[in-house]
Amino acid sequence: MPLHNINYKHWEGVHLGVWSRRWAIARNGLTACLKVRWMANLVVICWGVGLAAAAVLFLTGQLLVADSVIVRWVATFNPDLQSFANLLTLWLKDHPDISVGTTQNVLFYYFGSWLTVVSIFALGPIIPLLITRDLACNAIVIYSSKAVSRGDYLLGKFATAFGFLTLTWLGPVCAAWFLGNLLAPDWTFFWHARGALINILIYGVSSMAVLSLLALGVSALSSKEKATPFFWFLWWIFGWIVTPIAEHTEPWLRYLGFGFNLHQMELHTFRVGEKIQNMTDSIPVLGGILHMRETTRAALETPHIAGTCVALLIMLGLAAWIVHQRVKPE
Amino acid sequence: MPEDLVIETNALTKLFGKQKALDSVSLAVAPGAIGLLGPNGAGKTTFMKCLLQLQPISSGSAKLLGREVGTEGREIRKRVGYTPEMDCHIPGMAGCEYVTYCAQLCGLPFQAARQRAHEMLDFVGMGQERYRKIDTYSTGMKQRLKLAQSIVHDPEIVFLDEPTNGLDPKGQAQILDLVQSLWHAYGITVIVSSHLLHDVEQICEQIIIIARGRVLVHDSLANLKARRRGWAEVVVPGRHEELEAACGRRQWPCKLLPNGHVKVEHNSESLNPLLQLLHEMKLAPLEIIPSPNALEETFVQALEISHAAA
Repeated sequence: MPLHNINYKHWEGVHLGVWSRRWAIARNGLTACLKVRWMANLVVICWGVGLAAAAVLFLTGQLLVADSVIVRWVATFNPDLQSFANLLTLWLKDHPDISVGTTQNVLFYYFGSWLTVVSIFALGPIIPLLITRDLACNAIVIYSSKAVSRGDYLLGKFATAFGFLTLTWLGPVCAAWFLGNLLAPDWTFFWHARGALINILIYGVSSMAVLSLLALGVSALSSKEKATPFFWFLWWIFGWIVTPIAEHTEPWLRYLGFGFNLHQMELHTFRVGEKIQNMTDSIPVLGGILHMRETTRAALETPHIAGTCVALLIMLGLAAWIVHQRVKPE
Repeated sequence: MPEDLVIETNALTKLFGKQKALDSVSLAVAPGAIGLLGPNGAGKTTFMKCLLQLQPISSGSAKLLGREVGTEGREIRKRVGYTPEMDCHIPGMAGCEYVTYCAQLCGLPFQAARQRAHEMLDFVGMGQERYRKIDTYSTGMKQRLKLAQSIVHDPEIVFLDEPTNGLDPKGQAQILDLVQSLWHAYGITVIVSSHLLHDVEQICEQIIIIARGRVLVHDSLANLKARRRGWAEVVVPGRHEELEAACGRRQWPCKLLPNGHVKVEHNSESLNPLLQLLHEMKLAPLEIIPSPNALEETFVQALEISHAAA
């Protein structure tokens, strides 16, 4: 019996466009990432943190309402707290942008910082799944022989990294914002907290894009699956160690670590120092509560955004050059 | 007619540094089962890769399926399949996942891609092993998988680079049988690159022989097999002088070789005149070794060019 006793059939359907092929690459990459059990667990943890952040927002919101269940419950232990809550309620009425907007801005600044660290860590193990593995097993040839260009391939891989970061970072933070305000005592919280959401989106999308591009560059550095995560973590830890030392020696060295640059981007976006200053100016009683050391205040108020932009452009240029050199059919 | 051509190249040249991997290759190839024959390093793979845009062309021009290579790469590759020589699967994927993914890369919707992947895996004769990870496959399974991924999107032309490499004789026969059926039963043009004359001879009807980046011959298999130089070696039990004299009378140059065979230049593509002469002489030959046909001769010539260069 011939081997091909099952007949070949010609395909008569319609071919989808190039975006569906790019999406196929991204989806395949994401599926491969989530097949790794502990990566899937990490995503679950990040969403858990998002829920915790929503709970913190809920509690903060409840503190701003004098007759809320929480304040009444706390007042049974300490009646002075009721008076403090009344004060906060007045503050909410007079300065909603500060009481809701600034509070959420500061909270999301901290959530963002924490999830940045988690995301950089999470990117390490998925780096081999981006380009390294395809280089190792010549899969680039298969991509190149199909109806996708090198640009389509890289776009798909970029979307894989970006999609994964969305799962571990932007998704949980945005969900926290939405849930936190949904559970707030007043619908106007959504409006007053819009600034925080915009900052989350600006910082989240831009830093995720930067991280994804850098990850592609590192992933293309070698065809050895153990080497590329090593390079990634080495770079990250190097930046971590050098930043505090460089502050007192050669400040420009701080820009060599991508973590420092992302932090500067975050400070520039959220303007935490400026917002806290406004808060204490408008409500002097908070000055004592939110008292900061001058050095901390200076660090929060003056992010080194120009240096950061230059450093990130150089890093991205380098990553693009590595990818251009390494991702070829041969 | 030009519109029927699947491949057209004009002075196609590919340089690797100073070395010419392809040297002014000009071809016009009609659809069919085409064998790209030549020794290792002749430029067969480079030729395929240039047509598929996996390698940039240094100079000259090429058209595949009527479209310009270099400017319409994505459109061309939508209609073309390619089975590379080396393994190039994606680790961690099962066979059916891999073929489905390849179909999606060619623009098939997911459901259709999955269905078509299973059909193609059936076609190449893969059973339940399609659900196993590719990393665990034997060479034969990998070759079949490569063939399945190259035809999953129903291309008009398939390039197969050494499709029988590493296979046992049974596996080779099965793969060649499949490849042959692609053109003969389903009308898909196949271009088989091989350094094995036997493989190409078995399934192809057009032959292109390449050596050192140059095309030595491009003709149909039938023509190449029919074309011979007009000489033969005759093995006779004695009576050598008598045979030489008879050949001399017909003005056929003739000489006795050191191995005892008589080489007769009868100047005809057919052996009939020689057989006629032997019949007239009532001389029963022990063996007549005809001159090699043009296919064998050109292939040997390609090998010699390659060895000389090495």
